[in-house]
Amino acid sequence: MLLLQLLLDGIQSGAVYALMAVGFAIVFGMTRIFHYSHGATYLIAGYGFYACTSVFGLPWYLSVLAAIVLSAGFGALVQLLVYRPVQRDAGSFFTVFVASFGVGVVVENLLAMMFGSGFLSVTSPLSRAQPIMGLYISQLGMIIVGTAPLIFLALNYFFDRTSVGLALRGLADNPDLVTVYGLSAKSLFLIALVLGSLLVVPAAVFQTITAGLTPSAGHRVMLISLAATIIGGIGSLRGAGLGGLLLGVAESLSFWRLPAGWSDAVTFLILLAFILLRPSGLLGQKVRV
Amino acid sequence: MVNYFANLVTVTGISMILAISLNLLIGYAGIFSMAHAAFYGVGAYVAALLALHYTAELTLAVPLAMVTCAAASLLISLPALRVRGEYFVAASLGLQVIAFTVFEQWHSVTGGLSGLIGIPVAELFGYSLASPLAFMGVTIALVALVALAVICLLRTAFGRDLRAIRDDETAAAAAGKNVAVIKSIAVAISSALCAVAGVLYAFNIAFVNPESFTLNLSVLVMAMVIIGGAGTITGPIIGAALIQCLPAALSWLPLPPQNIGYLQQILYGLAMVLLMIYRPAGLMGKARSKG
Repeated sequence: MLLLQLLLDGIQSGAVYALMAVGFAIVFGMTRIFHYSHGATYLIAGYGFYACTSVFGLPWYLSVLAAIVLSAGFGALVQLLVYRPVQRDAGSFFTVFVASFGVGVVVENLLAMMFGSGFLSVTSPLSRAQPIMGLYISQLGMIIVGTAPLIFLALNYFFDRTSVGLALRGLADNPDLVTVYGLSAKSLFLIALVLGSLLVVPAAVFQTITAGLTPSAGHRVMLISLAATIIGGIGSLRGAGLGGLLLGVAESLSFWRLPAGWSDAVTFLILLAFILLRPSGLLGQKVRV
Repeated sequence: MVNYFANLVTVTGISMILAISLNLLIGYAGIFSMAHAAFYGVGAYVAALLALHYTAELTLAVPLAMVTCAAASLLISLPALRVRGEYFVAASLGLQVIAFTVFEQWHSVTGGLSGLIGIPVAELFGYSLASPLAFMGVTIALVALVALAVICLLRTAFGRDLRAIRDDETAAAAAGKNVAVIKSIAVAISSALCAVAGVLYAFNIAFVNPESFTLNLSVLVMAMVIIGGAGTITGPIIGAALIQCLPAALSWLPLPPQNIGYLQQILYGLAMVLLMIYRPAGLMGKARSKG
């Protein structure tokens, strides 16, 4: 029974990880930007949600809306104010990464200054676990496990059927060709950043209600997104989603046999095993070895 | 006052060793490592354990820590460097997290969160280095040695191979260079040099715990290298000095003490962003050519 409960918890956090990993994979796969401030987007959405509910006393749906607007706006700002100037004369992978990292550091510490470095959380009746057939499930957990597949279906439709989605996939394959066809790479980059940023909102809201937020949580979000992207295979969005789910389940199952402090190490042992044995990931294209 | 000054110089010197050794990777080999704090930690724990259980002799602690770190680095670099650069970033991040978990959870050896206390005073050829001035002298000497080692290394054929790989990996491979092996050796050397800083840290503070070897420190060292100028000899030294002196300068501002740490980090985060936009080569690096 304990194992089943852990599996269930793992699917919950796995759904959340999958969403944020796909967000990172969209940015990384389509634009090749190593978007380290993905973690910062998560913090902005989470603290935005917290401030709206607990400080300003707004109802939850307005707070979620605020989190959505904040994270999309932040994604757009980072692209316009940081990535675009850095890349104006062929900024390397490295320079973009450092700039993104710098943004992450600034956001983390600004939030720490404003909200303190301790845990903050929003209490909600939704997060209380209800016993169902001997297993403990919260309504919030059910909501998240229910919405994640819907979001993935929508993304699937977007990338397979809409012209913007197809253009984004083209951008991933051959950025020069996309420009030749008369599409603006600049606006596609912006769309990728905004879309990627939106996908951390469910994760941020869910974590704020269940586990709570700290300013240093951004690094962990980034680490998990990156690990899931590599496990799934760089360039594959479905892979990143699967990778996130796998990491969530593995992390939760690790509580079965290992002390709580080891769960992060389990995540990265899985990552190292993939890099060692199968660098192309679950669904990625073959990587030169 | 003299002791305060000596300690400040020692701490700055330790940062310089960290920055110089990381610069070998970032600046000359084009490898982005986020695990520098982990190797620093391994060096510190090796020195602490050796001193607590056997001897506080630096001539023994430094080589032992260097060999341990070099060996540990091969564990991750051999698999990760076979594939593209992003994988090494991920693998080193993973290693950093795993190392912290091990420092924190392996109570019987590392003492867990409370760490190892009461590390005896370091000795050099049997002479005790109890005075902060003497320890400062040893630190300065080691900074010079590490810098010299890097300068000499870069003048050898190996150093040229490294820069060739950084500039064009495919061309270097086409010229018959075994890219993965050369990169792995560079990571091993960098980790070994980083271990020197760890040993000095452990003896200087006489106490080690996992909190000193977090991802934040890896970030800080990276900031030193990048702000100073990756790929230059003087850059990391200047960067380390600047970042070490920043908290002292900020403490003059009328701010609540807990905010100084945050403000310091905000400033170097901002510096990283602005430098990447306007001067990607860092303060000491060549300015971007126009055109």
